Amino acid sequence: MSDFLTTLLSSVIFLPALGALLLCIVPIRSDRFIKQFSLAVTAVVFAITLWMAWPASSANEPGRFALGMANMQSMVLHEWIPSWNIYYFLGIDGISFPLALLTSFLSVLAMGASWPIAKHVKGYCVLFLLLETGMLGVFMSLDFFLFYVFWEVMLLPMYFLIGIWGGPRREYAAIKFFLFTLVGSVLLLVAMLMLYFNSDLRLLGPQQLADCRVVETKDAPEVQNILKDAKPVHTFNILALAEMGQAERSPFAQALWLGKSVSWWAFLFMFIGFVIKLPAVPVHTWLPEAHVEAPTPISMILAGVLLKMGGYGVLRFCYPICPDAAYELAWLVCGIGTLSMVYGAFAALAQKDFKRLVAYSSVSHMGYVLLGIGAWSAYAGNNYNADYWMWGMNGAMFQMIAHGLSSAGMFFLVGVIYDRVHHRNLDQFGGLFAKMPLYSGISVGIFFAALGLPGLCGFIGEVFVVLGCWSYSTALAVLAASVVVLTAGYILWTIQRVYLGAEYKGPHGDAITPITFRETAIAVPLLALAVVFGVYPKAMFDYMSPSIDKTVNALADWTRGHEKQKSPGDIIIGGVTPRIIIQEEEEEKLNPMMNDE
Amino acid sequence: MDTLPLLLGTAWLLPLASFALILLFGSRMGKAGRGAGFVATAAIVAAFVLSATALTVWLSAHPIEAPAGHSSATADSAEHGAAAKENHAADTHASAGETTAAKKIIPPVAGDWYELGAFGTKRITIGYYIDALTIAMFFMVTMVASCIHIYSFGYMHEELSEVTDHQVTLASGQHLHRRGRFHRFYQYLSLFCFSMLGLVIAGNIAMVFVFWELVGICSYFLIGFYIERKSASNAANKAFIVNRVGDFGMIIGLMAVWTGMGTFSFGDYEMKDAQGRETMRPGIFSQARPAGNDFQLQAPDGMVKFAKRDEIAEIVQKSENAADAELQIEKRIDGWRKDGFGYGWLIVAGLGIFCGCVGKSAQFPLHVWLPDAMEGPTPVSALIHAATMVAAGVYLVGRFYPVFTPEVLMVIAYIGCITLFIAATMALVATDIKRVLAFSTVSQLGYMMLALGFGGWLAGIFHLFTHAFFKALLFLCSGSVIHATHTNEMPRMGGLLKKMPYTGITMLIGCLAIAGAGIPWIIGLSGYYSKDFIIAQGLVYQHANPLHGWLFYFSVAGAGMTSFYMFRLWYMTFLGTPRDKHVYDHAHESTPSMLVPLVILAVMSVISGWKVPFTNLELPALLTQAIPSGTEEGAVSNLTKFYIPAEHLSHESGVHFFATGIAFLMALLGFVLATAFYGTKRLDPNDARRTFATLYRIFIHKWYFDEAYQKIFVRPALAISGWIAWLDKNGLDWIADNSARLMGLCARLDDWFDRKFVDRLIDLVAAGTYRLGIRLKALQTGSLRQYVMLLAVGLAALFMIMNFYWNFAMSKM
Amino acid sequence: MELLTQPIGLSHYLVVSALLFVCGVACMATKRNLLGVLMGIELVLSGANLNFVAFGSPYLQSKSLGMDGQMIALFVIVLAAAEAAVALAIALNYYHTHATVDVDKADELKG
Repeated sequence: MSDFLTTLLSSVIFLPALGALLLCIVPIRSDRFIKQFSLAVTAVVFAITLWMAWPASSANEPGRFALGMANMQSMVLHEWIPSWNIYYFLGIDGISFPLALLTSFLSVLAMGASWPIAKHVKGYCVLFLLLETGMLGVFMSLDFFLFYVFWEVMLLPMYFLIGIWGGPRREYAAIKFFLFTLVGSVLLLVAMLMLYFNSDLRLLGPQQLADCRVVETKDAPEVQNILKDAKPVHTFNILALAEMGQAERSPFAQALWLGKSVSWWAFLFMFIGFVIKLPAVPVHTWLPEAHVEAPTPISMILAGVLLKMGGYGVLRFCYPICPDAAYELAWLVCGIGTLSMVYGAFAALAQKDFKRLVAYSSVSHMGYVLLGIGAWSAYAGNNYNADYWMWGMNGAMFQMIAHGLSSAGMFFLVGVIYDRVHHRNLDQFGGLFAKMPLYSGISVGIFFAALGLPGLCGFIGEVFVVLGCWSYSTALAVLAASVVVLTAGYILWTIQRVYLGAEYKGPHGDAITPITFRETAIAVPLLALAVVFGVYPKAMFDYMSPSIDKTVNALADWTRGHEKQKSPGDIIIGGVTPRIIIQEEEEEKLNPMMNDE
Repeated sequence: MDTLPLLLGTAWLLPLASFALILLFGSRMGKAGRGAGFVATAAIVAAFVLSATALTVWLSAHPIEAPAGHSSATADSAEHGAAAKENHAADTHASAGETTAAKKIIPPVAGDWYELGAFGTKRITIGYYIDALTIAMFFMVTMVASCIHIYSFGYMHEELSEVTDHQVTLASGQHLHRRGRFHRFYQYLSLFCFSMLGLVIAGNIAMVFVFWELVGICSYFLIGFYIERKSASNAANKAFIVNRVGDFGMIIGLMAVWTGMGTFSFGDYEMKDAQGRETMRPGIFSQARPAGNDFQLQAPDGMVKFAKRDEIAEIVQKSENAADAELQIEKRIDGWRKDGFGYGWLIVAGLGIFCGCVGKSAQFPLHVWLPDAMEGPTPVSALIHAATMVAAGVYLVGRFYPVFTPEVLMVIAYIGCITLFIAATMALVATDIKRVLAFSTVSQLGYMMLALGFGGWLAGIFHLFTHAFFKALLFLCSGSVIHATHTNEMPRMGGLLKKMPYTGITMLIGCLAIAGAGIPWIIGLSGYYSKDFIIAQGLVYQHANPLHGWLFYFSVAGAGMTSFYMFRLWYMTFLGTPRDKHVYDHAHESTPSMLVPLVILAVMSVISGWKVPFTNLELPALLTQAIPSGTEEGAVSNLTKFYIPAEHLSHESGVHFFATGIAFLMALLGFVLATAFYGTKRLDPNDARRTFATLYRIFIHKWYFDEAYQKIFVRPALAISGWIAWLDKNGLDWIADNSARLMGLCARLDDWFDRKFVDRLIDLVAAGTYRLGIRLKALQTGSLRQYVMLLAVGLAALFMIMNFYWNFAMSKM
Repeated sequence: MELLTQPIGLSHYLVVSALLFVCGVACMATKRNLLGVLMGIELVLSGANLNFVAFGSPYLQSKSLGMDGQMIALFVIVLAAAEAAVALAIALNYYHTHATVDVDKADELKG
C-alpha cells in the first residue's frame, strides 16, 4: 500500500518534471506538438489529483481523500539523507489538498492560455512543467527540508519565465521577484535550521512519534532507540515539530536573543519569509511589477498558486510550530493583514494599467487571508471558545481557493484583450460589450467574484473572515469591513471604463474580435466554479474544515494551557518562561524535602 | 402549513430558472428574443399564483378574527397608558400579560434548506422564516412584478429591433446604433425577482445580506441597462457604491449579532449538540426577547459576556477547566445584565443593521443614489426603486424589529423624519417627472421609517404595502407619458389628459392615494388608511415624549408637502395648455399591454385598505398577525428618558379621530395650494420662486449633497489612493530599488577593495617568490668544484645538527 | 690522543677511513683537472670501503656486520669501477667537444 501511495503522490509531483525531461531530450521541432504534449502532461496530473479528490466510498481505498478525517492522509515516508534525519515525507490533508488540486487545475488552464507563446516554445514548456513540479511538491511535502527544496525549485523557472517571455521591463521585474523571494527564503532557511537544531524527538511520547510517522507504530523498536538516545534527536518532520512546539515544555522556548525565544525568532523569520510571498504590505512591491511584465499564463499561475503558498506556509508552519510567538504577535499578523486590505484597495483605485490594478486587488484580497488566520479569537475572555476562530480560518482558507479562481480568471481576461489591442491603459478602453459580448459577460462575472458578490466564491471567504475578527478586535473588524466600499469602487469603475460605454476609442480597434473557443474554454470553467463554490461552498468546506478545525482546536487548547502557566508570581520576560524558572521548578520536583525545612 | 415552504420556495426559484434559461438561450427565444419576455412573465405570474395559494393556505390555518381585541385594549388602555409612563418594569409586565393573552402568538414556519458553512457549534444556512409578513410580501412583490413584466412588453418594445440611442453621441458625431437587448431586460428582471423574493423569505440575517447584495447588483444591471450611456453607468456605480456604504454598517451589525448571539437565524433552529442529539437552539428573536422575560427586550447572553470579557478572563484563569468556568459565568450573567452590560452591543447590532437599511432605502444620508437611479428604464424605476427593492430596507426594519432597542428606534425615527422632510422639499421644485416621483419615494420611505421609529410597526409596514401599489402605479403612468412624449421634463408637457385619458385618470387615482384622499372618518383610498395610522402613532408618540414632538410636526408638514407636489405633478402634466407643441402632437395613449397593469395597480391602490366584503380579511389585520411578540407593548429607554408608546394606543378612537382630521386637513391644504399654483393658475409659481430664491436654490440642488459628498468622500478617496500609489512607487519601491543600488555600490566597493588590497597581496607574494627564485639561482654556478664543496659543507652541517638535536625518540613518531 | 697509545681497535680504522674520506673530498673540491676529481671520488669510496670492512670485522667488535661488511665493500668496488668508467666516458666526450678537462671551464649548466 505504501508503494502505491508513494507512486501516486510522487507521480503527481514528478510527472511534470519527467515531461520536462522528455521535452529536453527528445528532439521535437513542432512547436504545436510541444505545447500539446505539455498540455497533456498537465491534464494527466490534474486527472490524477481529481481521482484522488473523489471521496472514498469505503475506508479501504488508499489514495482517495477521506472526507471528515482531520489528520494527515496518504502519507509516504522514505529515508533520504539519514545522517541529517531528512526524509522523503509526503502527505495531504484538508489544508494542502485543495491547494494542490487548485494548482493542477490552474496549470492546465495556464497551459491552455500559453498557446500564443511563439518564441523558444520548448524552453517555455520545460520551465513551466518544472514550475508545476515545484508547486505541487511544496504543497505535498511534510519534511521541512524537502519543502524548502521544492520552494527553491519554484524560484528559478519563474525567474526565467518572467525574464524571457515577459513585457518591456521584464528583466527588472524578474530580478526583483527573485531577490524579494530569495530574501524570504533565506530567512526561512535560518528559521528552519533554528528549529532543527533545537528540536528533540526525545520529548515526544511513543504515540506521538507514531502519529507523526517518525516511526511506523508506537511499539516499533526505533521508538526506544530514539527515546534512549544520549544526544538530542533532531528532526525536520513538520508534524513532529508542531507537536514539540505545542507541548507544555517546548524545546523552542529557550531565550535566544534580546530576551526572545527561539520560537519567537523562528516565527518572525518564517512569517516575514512567507508574507513576502503572500504578499503583504510593506514587502509587496515585487508583485505589481512581476504581474505587469509577466505573460498572461504566468500571471495566472503567479496569482492563482504562488501567492497561496505564503498563506499555506503561515498556516502550516508558523502557527502550529510556534504558537506562543503567534499568540504574542497576533496583533502584528492582523495588523499587517488589515493594512494590506486597505492599502491594496486604495492603491488599486489609483491605477491606470489594467493588470496593475488587478495585481493590487490581489494584495488586498490576500490581506483577508492573514486576518482570518491571525485573529486569535480563542482567549480567556470567551473561555477559549474556538468557534469564531474556526470561522475565520476556514474563511481564510476558502478565500485562498476563491481568490485563486477569480484572480487567475481576471488575469486571463486582461490577457485576452491585451492580445488583441496590445495595451492595458484603462483610459483607452470602453465599449467592449458591443464588440465582444460573451467576453464582456464572462468578465463581468469574474470581476464580481473578485468584488465579493454573494452567490460567487469571493463572498464566502470575505464574510467568514470578517465574522471571525470581531471577537478579536472590533476596531480591526470595522476597518476590514470598510474595505468592501473601496473594493466595490475600483471594480465597478474598472468595469465601467473597460466594458461599458459607447465605443472603443483606443488603438488597434479593428483587432478586437470576439472571444475564441480556446479562450472561452479557459474562462468559463473558472466562472462556473466561482458560481458553484459561491452557491454551495460546503463542497469545498467538506474537504477543508476537519483539518482546519483540528488546527484551531489544538491552538485553542494550547492557549488555555499556556495562560494557565502564566500565573501572577512568575517573572515573564518577553512572553517566554525563561529557563531559570524551568530549572527551578525541576529542582523543586527533585528536592521537595529541602523546601519543607 | 408544511406546504408553505414548498409553495414559497418554488415561487422563489421560478424566476431563477427563468433567469438561467434566458441567460443561456435568450437571444434565440422567438424573434429577436421576444420569447424571453413570455418566459419571464410566465415565471413571475406562476410565482404570483403560488403566493396567492400560500396566502389561502395561511389564512385557512390562521383565520383572521373580528377585531374584538380593540375593545379590551381600550378598556385597560387608560391604566396602560399610565403604566407606560412609569419607569417600572413590573407594571408593564402585568398589563403585558393581559394584552398578550388577547393576541395569539402565531409561531412562524422556520427551517433550513441547506448549509453554507458549519464549524464548531455555529452554522450559517440558507433557510426560510415564514409568517404573515412573508406571505403578504410575497403576494405584493409578485403581483407588482407581474404587472411590471406585462407593462414592459409595451415599454421596451423598441428593444426588439435595432435601437438608435439619442442620448449617446459617438466620436464621429452620429448617434449610436445598436442591437436590441429585449431578452437581457427580462433576464435581469427575473434575477431581481429571485433576489427580492429570496430576501423576503430569508430565515436568517446572513441570508438577508446575501440577497441584499444580489438585489443591489440587479439594481446595478438595470440602472445601467443602457450601458452605452455614461450617465447610466455612473448612476449604476453610484447606486451600488452608496449601497455598499450601507452594507459596511450592516456587516458591523452582522458581526455584533454573530459574536453576541452565536447565530443569524431568526427563528429557533435545530442543531446537533456535543452528544449528537438534536436540540432546539434559540434564534435571534428568542435570545433578544425570551419567553421567560415576557418577550421584553433584554441583552442576550452572548452580548453580556462579550461586554464582560475581562472579568470572564479572570474567572477562566482561576477555574479548573472549561466546564467549571462556564458554570461560574452562567451564575453571574443575570447580574451583569441587570447592571446594563451588553446593552451597548445590542444597540450596536441594531444600528449596524439599520445602517444597511439606510443605504438600501435611500434614507438620509445615503439617499443620493435614488434620484440618479432614474437613468434606468421606467419599469425598473417602478419595480425596484419604488415598490420593492427600496422597500426591502423598511421590510428589514420591520423584520428585525424585536431586536431594536428604544434608542435605535429613536435614531430610526430621526433619520426617517429628516429624510422625509428634505426629500419632500426636493420634490417641490423638481421638473423631471421621474425625479419628482423618486424624491417622493424617498420621502415616503422616510415616513415608513418614522412610523417604525414611533413604535408603530403595523403603521409602517402597512404603509409599505400601500405605497408599493400606488408608487408603482405612478411610475408606470409616468413611463406611459414618457413613452408617448419622449421627454421626462414636465415644463414641456401639459394638457395631456385629452390625449391620454386612461393614463391621466389612473395617475390621478395614484395621486389621490398618495395624498391620503378620502372622505374623512368614513372611507378612503389605501393611502388614506396607512397615513392615518402613521399620524395617529405620531400623535401618541408626541404625547408621550414632548421633547421629541417636533418629529410629529415635521411629519405632518410632510403630508401637506406630499399632497402639494403630487398634484403639482399631475396638473403640470395633464392639465393646462400644452407647453410644447411638438410633444403634444406626438403624444398618444399607450398600448393595452401597458394600460392593463395601470388599471390593476389603480384598483389595488384603491382597495388595499378595505376589507374584503363579507369577511374579516383586510391587509392590516393580516399584518397584525405578524407583529413581533413583545413589541406591541411600548418600551422604555434604558439610557435616556423617552418612551416608545404601544401601538394599540394609536387605535383609540379619540386619537384616531384627531389624526384623521389632521391628515385630511394637510392633504386638503396641499391640494388647494397646488390647484392655486398649477391648476387654476391663481398664483404664479415664478413669484414663489423669486420670493424664496435661496430656499429654491437649495432645493433644486438637492441640498448640495452630491457636491458635498464629492468633496468629502470621493475626492479624498481618490487623493488618498493617489498618495498610496505614489508611496508604493516612490516610497516602498524607492527603498527596494535603492537598497538594490546600495547593494550594487557595496559590490563595487568590494571589488575595489579586492583589486586594490587582496589582489595586491597575492601579487606581492608572487613577486617575492620570483625574486627569491632569482636570488637562489645564483647558487647554480655550473662549477663542479663549488658543487662538491657545497655537498661537503652541507653534509657536515647536517651531521652537526643531527648530533645536537636528534634523539632516537623522534624516529618512533 | 689516547688512540695513539691504545691497541689497534675499531676507532683506528674509522679514523683512517675518515682521513681517506676527507682527503678524497678535499681532492674533489680543489682539483682543477677532471681526472683529479675522479681520483678524489675513488679516495672517498675507498674510505667508505674501509669503514664498511672495519665494521664487518668480527675481531674488532663482538656484534659486527660480519660478512655483510665485506659484501658491501665488494659492491662498492664494483660500483666504483662502473662509475669510473662512466665518468671517464663523460670526460672523454667532454674533451672531444671542449678540448680541455678543466672543470672550472665546464659551467654551461649555470642557472
